[in-house]
Amino acid sequence: MGEPVLRLRGIVKRFPGVVALRGIDFEVRPHEILGLVGENGAGKSTLMKILVGLERPDEGEIVLRGRPVVLDGPETAIRHGIGMVFQEGCMIPNLSVLDNLFLCHEDGFTRFGLLSPRAMAERAREQLAVVGLTDLDPRQQMSELSPARKQMVEVARLLWLSELYQAQNPTLILDEPTTVLQEGEVRILFSLLAKLRERASIVFISHRLEEVVQHTDRVYVLKDGEHVGTLERPAPDAPAPEVPGVVRLMVGHELSAEHYRESMQTEPGQEVVLRARGLRKTGAFRDFSLDLHAGEIVGLVGLLGSGKEEVCRCLTGAERPDGGSIEVRGQRVRFASPKDAIAVGVGCVPIDRRSDGLATTLDVADNVNLLVLRRLLAGPFLSPRRERESAEHWVRECLIKAPSLRTPCGNLSGGNQQKLVIAKWLAAQVQVLILDHPTRGIDVGAKDEIYARIRTLAASGMSLLIMCDTLEEDIGLSNRLVVMKDGAIVREIACAPRRKPPPVEVVSYVV
Amino acid sequence: MSPFPSTAPGAPPARHPSEKGGDSSAADAREGRPSALRAALRPALQFVSRGIYGQIVALALVFAIFAVGTGGGYLSLRNVLTILSLAGIPMIVCLGIHLVIIIGAMDLSTEGVISLCAVICGFLIKNSFTHYDIGFWVLPVSVAIGALAGLVSGVLSTAARMPSFIATLGIWWVAQGLSVVVGRGNSVKMLDPRFQTITNGDTLGLPNTILIALVFFAGLWVMQRRTRFGRYMYAMGGDEALARQAGIKVARVKVLVFTLTGAIYGFAALLLSARLAATNPRIGNGQLFPSMTAVAVGGISLSGGVGGALNAVFGALIVVALNDGMVLMKISPYVQNAVNGIVLILAVALTIDRRKIGIIK
Amino acid sequence: MKRSRLVQPLTISLALLVGLVGVFTLGNPSFLSAYNVSTILNAVAILLAVGLGQVCVILTGGIDLSVGSIMSLVSVVLMMTVGRLGYGAYPLVALIGLFSGLLNGLIVSKLKIPSFIATLGTQGVLVSIAYLLSAGPLTAAEDAYGVLDFVNGHLGPIQATWIISAVMLALYYAMQRFMPLGRQIIYIGANERMSWLAGLDIDRARILAFAFSGFGAAVAGIVLSATLFSGYPTMGLPYVLNSIAVVVVGGTAMTGGAGGVLNTVVGAVIMGVIQNGLTVIGVDVYGQQVFLGILVIIAVAVTFDRSKVAIIK
Repeated sequence: MGEPVLRLRGIVKRFPGVVALRGIDFEVRPHEILGLVGENGAGKSTLMKILVGLERPDEGEIVLRGRPVVLDGPETAIRHGIGMVFQEGCMIPNLSVLDNLFLCHEDGFTRFGLLSPRAMAERAREQLAVVGLTDLDPRQQMSELSPARKQMVEVARLLWLSELYQAQNPTLILDEPTTVLQEGEVRILFSLLAKLRERASIVFISHRLEEVVQHTDRVYVLKDGEHVGTLERPAPDAPAPEVPGVVRLMVGHELSAEHYRESMQTEPGQEVVLRARGLRKTGAFRDFSLDLHAGEIVGLVGLLGSGKEEVCRCLTGAERPDGGSIEVRGQRVRFASPKDAIAVGVGCVPIDRRSDGLATTLDVADNVNLLVLRRLLAGPFLSPRRERESAEHWVRECLIKAPSLRTPCGNLSGGNQQKLVIAKWLAAQVQVLILDHPTRGIDVGAKDEIYARIRTLAASGMSLLIMCDTLEEDIGLSNRLVVMKDGAIVREIACAPRRKPPPVEVVSYVV
Repeated sequence: MSPFPSTAPGAPPARHPSEKGGDSSAADAREGRPSALRAALRPALQFVSRGIYGQIVALALVFAIFAVGTGGGYLSLRNVLTILSLAGIPMIVCLGIHLVIIIGAMDLSTEGVISLCAVICGFLIKNSFTHYDIGFWVLPVSVAIGALAGLVSGVLSTAARMPSFIATLGIWWVAQGLSVVVGRGNSVKMLDPRFQTITNGDTLGLPNTILIALVFFAGLWVMQRRTRFGRYMYAMGGDEALARQAGIKVARVKVLVFTLTGAIYGFAALLLSARLAATNPRIGNGQLFPSMTAVAVGGISLSGGVGGALNAVFGALIVVALNDGMVLMKISPYVQNAVNGIVLILAVALTIDRRKIGIIK
Repeated sequence: MKRSRLVQPLTISLALLVGLVGVFTLGNPSFLSAYNVSTILNAVAILLAVGLGQVCVILTGGIDLSVGSIMSLVSVVLMMTVGRLGYGAYPLVALIGLFSGLLNGLIVSKLKIPSFIATLGTQGVLVSIAYLLSAGPLTAAEDAYGVLDFVNGHLGPIQATWIISAVMLALYYAMQRFMPLGRQIIYIGANERMSWLAGLDIDRARILAFAFSGFGAAVAGIVLSATLFSGYPTMGLPYVLNSIAVVVVGGTAMTGGAGGVLNTVVGAVIMGVIQNGLTVIGVDVYGQQVFLGILVIIAVAVTFDRSKVAIIK
């Protein structure tokens, strides 16, 4: 298929505590659609950020059309003909379509220093026609467009820019474009991509593996920052690679059982602590029912957009469900805000601990005691002695390594911060703890401590609902898996110790 | 026909609900702050934040109320001309402030900067205090002083990375102090009658100040609609991070906007002192509050990116018409402050985009 | 690594204070005379009361621009009623301050608008009320001087204003350091979203923070008008900026969540020393304004926590 347009060699990228990419080789050939897959945290987004210059690699080189280049920002990247359509979109909502299309590159449309809206609109219509938006009025405000149209406007802008800079065969990167689309729109997107490949190469990132294998020429698989294989379709009309083959590469071989401390796994009790019945939220999930027993660990599994995040927010009071009921220890409850959930003993360790879990400028003691101030009162006043004792107790209990109780917790490592968030909830003596990606961004040793902590909590009778970074983690830790897909529970899988289901089997229900 | 269906009001929701820039209820839910009140107000909110229809209605309402209240006297040509002549200078000040607000920043230095410009001009025009007389050259001088103050505010908020409302609060203080230090607290009479003739005169039956304000409006309107700089301002107000990503030199635009606003203050300062035929170090007092109210009433969102010069013009008209009506109805002038305060709070509550508030909670 | 923001700004502020006292004493040896120190402490009493109130709001990440108008209204009402109500006038005006603060808090948290707009608006309302009560300056009736001695009198060598300062300090320090409310205010300022997820009643804490601000302003208004035996509707105006200066010069960050009552004490003393010192070495009140404006800009630039806001507008 000719010389690659873009070639990455030996790319290494390290973040504090983690190596995101471990010497990646990656190439994009002319006029191809390349699928990029991998689990969360496999390094996809880091790789893409390097391609558009938002991150600089620590090692390795980027070769573009045979010449090494340095990409130091999206601006430079697009000058070289590499552009990305971000998942969250990067069009400015309060500007019109045509303003967005030509933003910062209006030189061709000025006369006597004034912009000519007519010339811009004309050019915009031509450009929009390229991506199939023939009926879109370019004067329309960006925020009024459907997600599908926003994406296509972004594509149109990238194509126009690469034309402007005379970049032959530009590379367009689409990050999870289909998660925001409806069924029909997805089909249209792919027919359009098939047309666009005549003038560009496309890198397509998606969690929906069927889509990827169906519509791409090659599937590039990342796992733990390493390239673990590429599945190639020999000719466009050849049969697509099998999904299970891709999955096997993605999830890899099973780890030893002891990695997740399976020997410490206990049988849950009989009592149902948290019961959800027919919970629904329009546009997110429907008919969600769950019995969470005392001492049980349930793993909630599903893709981005499967509705599992919204379920968790409803169970912790951060969002209100549209219907259905929640019972805690047999009592019907209604959560207007997290306050109500905490009052009946439901807590949540959030995915983003810096923004949602901690006050990073405040010290360790203040963060640990946040939920239990009332218990530290002596009369109307807080007792400094009790404050100190409470903080000391939980710091010791949760093995938090901090120079002192007065250290601002922004100075702690990620692992210790996470232990601090857990300690805060343990101090509050919650009975149900929802752990949203508890091991995100922390080092191996701290991960191990958190696994052990989860085990001892369950053994002590606490009920835990977990959503993990990798499927292996979910399977390894849980007593039971609840698999969600497109807003509904599709399967429950028992995960008794030593009889854990293979990841490949679970994935087949997820996608 | 395009293959992509456009979002019709009744279109089914997309599969993934957490899209950005969706309807505000989804966003509220994500913020975890459900509010039935805001949901009920949303149609009104959209109406107010789109264009100036809401402002025209509000203005008509003000006129209707006072027309009834004064038995028609409010609608007399004389009173309408009074309103227009009173509206000129506030309109110019408001046109200045609104530029800063469109990029999502804030300027509280108005009063101090206007006083400083006015005091210095008072000494340079033929006056009762010094022997200087530079005639109309005072105009570029005043504009330059204002621009310099704006430049400092802009640099503080970009290079020193301070929130603009606190940087301009400091500049307000500094400029106010300087104007007293320079002016020694004196009131200075301006003895050049040409300035007074211009600011208090009419052309073709319309007060000159409103005509000058309209010239400013036209210039800024064209700038906002038809120049790159204008579009960049809106882009920054919409989303500064994305604007930077698109390649806009955000800091440069910000400094320029503050400088331009300062220059407009300088111009307004000269008109203000010419109208009174005198300057004093307190001449700018009472300019910020009505202007801020006008900006909010005009439908310019304090969170940035929404509204333009036309909104500023209408906002100023509404505030002036309201205050003029209260005077005609013989309502104590002291109540005006209270009315302005309440109007300010309500207008901001209706127009602000709560998802975008960064600093001041 | 981020340095601890709880300690360092306070150290800087204290160093500044020592430096200023040194400079002013060199400029005029009578600066440290007993008489002058007592004058400074009287001015500090007003700055401290209004600053202690302001810091409660700033710790939540907000700002209260209405403290000046509360002081004005308090001064007018106090002068109007002190003759008739005697000592009863004090609780009356204290309640006025408290309720104005509650109103601010309700507007900010229920209408969800930025606090500087809400308080700019209520400031207009409060000034209007003050003007409606009395457009011109009021002076205290001579028979009320005895009642005003509550502020102007002294216990032996100790001035009543010092006692008021000490009581205010004790009250606000206890609130901030030893009551859950004080912690909640700091939690909100440090991370509002986290606080909400942790079940704190954010609206309640914020409304009470504004109430404490209103009360502080009321006490400041009492001291100001009683020491001058007068009240008028613009009397408190300069104290909007002064109160912010007291807070930020003491090292409390405008971003909220760091700093507090002790910082504010240092800030109030610095401000009192600067105002007095500049007067003693012959800078007039407006030159002082220029100086303080620049000082505030520098103080904010030093303490502002830029890591907390991605985009600064």
